[in-house]
Amino acid sequence: MGKYADSPEWADVVPISQQEHMPAPLAQIAYTDEYAEAMSYLRATMASNELSERVLALTEDIIRLNPSHYTVWLYRFRTLSALPTASLTTELTTFLNPLSLRHLKNYQIWHHRQLLVSAIGSYEGEAEFLVDMFAKDAKNYHVWSYRQWLVRHFKLFHSASELAFTEQLIGEDVRNNSAWNHRWHVNFADGDGLSDSGLVAKELEYAMGKIELAAQNESAWNYLRGLLAKGAGVEESKVVQFAVKYAGLDGGEVKSTHALDLLASIYGKDPAKKESAVQALELLADKYDPIRAPYWRYRLAMVNSGVAAS
Amino acid sequence: MQSSTPSSSYPASTTSLPFRSGTSITSNRISGEDEDPTDTTMTVPAVSSIFLDLPLIKDSHLETTSSEAQDETVKECLPFLTLQNFEPENLTEEGLPRLQRAKHIKFLKTSIEMTYPKGFTPMDSSRPWTVYWSLVGLHMLGEDPSQWRDRVIATAQQVQNPDGGFGGGAGQLAHSATSYAIILALVTVGGKEALDAVDRKNMWHWLGRMKQKDGGFTVCAGGEEDIRGAYCSMTLIALLNLPLELPPDSPARVNGNETFLTGLPEWIQRCQTYEGGIAGLPDSEAHGAYAFCALACLSIIGPPAKMIPKYLDVPSLIHCLSSLQHAPETGFAGRTNKLVDGCYSHWVGGCWSLLSAALGLVTTDLWSREGLARYILCCCQGDRGGLRDKPSKHPDAYHTNYCLAGLSAAQYVAEYVVPEGENSSETLDDELAGIVALTAPFQWRIERESEGPWSEEVKVMPVHPVFVVPVNRVKECHDYFETKSGF
Repeated sequence: MGKYADSPEWADVVPISQQEHMPAPLAQIAYTDEYAEAMSYLRATMASNELSERVLALTEDIIRLNPSHYTVWLYRFRTLSALPTASLTTELTTFLNPLSLRHLKNYQIWHHRQLLVSAIGSYEGEAEFLVDMFAKDAKNYHVWSYRQWLVRHFKLFHSASELAFTEQLIGEDVRNNSAWNHRWHVNFADGDGLSDSGLVAKELEYAMGKIELAAQNESAWNYLRGLLAKGAGVEESKVVQFAVKYAGLDGGEVKSTHALDLLASIYGKDPAKKESAVQALELLADKYDPIRAPYWRYRLAMVNSGVAAS
Repeated sequence: MQSSTPSSSYPASTTSLPFRSGTSITSNRISGEDEDPTDTTMTVPAVSSIFLDLPLIKDSHLETTSSEAQDETVKECLPFLTLQNFEPENLTEEGLPRLQRAKHIKFLKTSIEMTYPKGFTPMDSSRPWTVYWSLVGLHMLGEDPSQWRDRVIATAQQVQNPDGGFGGGAGQLAHSATSYAIILALVTVGGKEALDAVDRKNMWHWLGRMKQKDGGFTVCAGGEEDIRGAYCSMTLIALLNLPLELPPDSPARVNGNETFLTGLPEWIQRCQTYEGGIAGLPDSEAHGAYAFCALACLSIIGPPAKMIPKYLDVPSLIHCLSSLQHAPETGFAGRTNKLVDGCYSHWVGGCWSLLSAALGLVTTDLWSREGLARYILCCCQGDRGGLRDKPSKHPDAYHTNYCLAGLSAAQYVAEYVVPEGENSSETLDDELAGIVALTAPFQWRIERESEGPWSEEVKVMPVHPVFVVPVNRVKECHDYFETKSGF
């Protein structure tokens, strides 16, 4: 007895129960009757490859009981795609959105969304919905990966609204590395951005401005480091001039370990500046970042042997 | 490169801080009160200030969500790191909390054997993981996992898909993550019967359908393509000694000469970000767990010293991973400006042996092994057994396994033994084209402990640096399937 067994709509389906195994499999779950029954009907409809309205209802039932059930999600999408009456937009707004806000760490929800939005062919309303998601967790990996997919799929590179969005999140929390990563993506992942020395210079200024707010913020330094390593037309001397403000050698004040680190990288390449590189790395190893002393000493050994290690 | 500086030696600036239980912390140091110098029973060994001091530089003038979360984490960890929360009898002579072995064994035995109540229904699509995490955790704690062999085989049979691969549960689609977990569980219990439980031919066909034209792998039919898919799939191919040629129905078979390796290192290369770390898929954010997947996957395809430097910018990768070891928590975070979590003890901690092999480092460490062990033993052990993310979180099998794997990575030196003839002048491209079997991941030896405060009370068993299962079981599996070139 159960919801499906009692339903005339499902009378034609012979459910497939889970087989008993001997000896007993490990890490078993005492399913509720409701879940066990729904799963037995799912096995039956999947076996006959049924794609129907009632299958949509069945998959919804199972997803509500187990939102990590990747098999059901994919079957649901196949069913949606096969039904001329099914509205993918309704699926997004009335089914998926509320579920996403309840289950933050779920791969399947975001893959389903990607399939739907790809099929719909429009990203209208997506940015608005994602604001709610980021309000719950501004560093959610799945949500950010989805947003990066949106940018690539709909060619939103250099989009003013995407950049403004990263600006807003970085403004709220300058240490939000996910927002920094997205900014890089929007500016540079199309492949052309890094060869645009004007854009690179603008972003360099942006990173420096944020470092001025909080000099020990690794996210901004990593962004700057990335520009220096990959961007066109970055004047190394300008970066050095900036970094020394935060990393005084010869007894000066040190306001940022990342500035010391960057100076050590730049100086380490120049035999004439070797002593300064050594000094910066020794400060890191002995005083400012001793938990990473093994790494800083490795860098020291590389500088002393004349090999660039970072 | 050989450095003359042994990095795991003890710092000279050890501060002597004997204290009694109940002593207070002033600023970030422990202060002892009214010590009786003759009372040795209650004194606790000194902890080096390297493992306790707060960073000297902090932008206190600008607090944000990230910095507040970081401050909270430091606050919850410090009473554990300073040993204040431990009774002296629970500490080793070297000043580390003992590994609560019996409690952790009990926790994992329960987690693998119990029937989970209905509230655990969302676990229904990942049960194989629980089996794998528990078994390897038990191995590291000194238990013999083969006692669960018959039930592991039954679990595998229950979730094996007739079209190849293993799903999360009966009747579920095959998935590379659950297939990985099942195969590793079978390898961990070992024995012919367990290894024979896999339908290798159908697994090969199924993997062929996961391989994509762009070089990567999807995790299931119609599912997402990410670096988990790549690492898990290559693990299956290597351990089961499956043919590298693609089955005829693979979507990646275009010209007919493609293999499972075609385009894969290049696809992994696309996952390295401007930060130097590795993302779960191209365009995403660098993340410690995906760094392990990338390094391990490359180390399956070929010798780490050739594969890793060819496809990844190693200096910037090391730069990024090193920065994830936080002070004063001394454990690893997963991303820049995120928090430490015990599971990264493996995901980041497990990268170092692969990177050392990539760089040919023999005696030099790039990270603090003792720091990691301190975080795990101080902050991650649950009162009632099991290990956890951080003190405010509950233990689970996932964190238990990966905390213990991180402890194992800290305690042992895994060495890649270069086989005779591997240093030939042949270029890597020629070599890749000529690979007929994956031999590189079977060249690892773990024959010595690292330098560190590893008394018996904190020691775990080693695990394989690429597959994260008992080392001898990898050999058994390899020897068994080496004889089966076909199906």
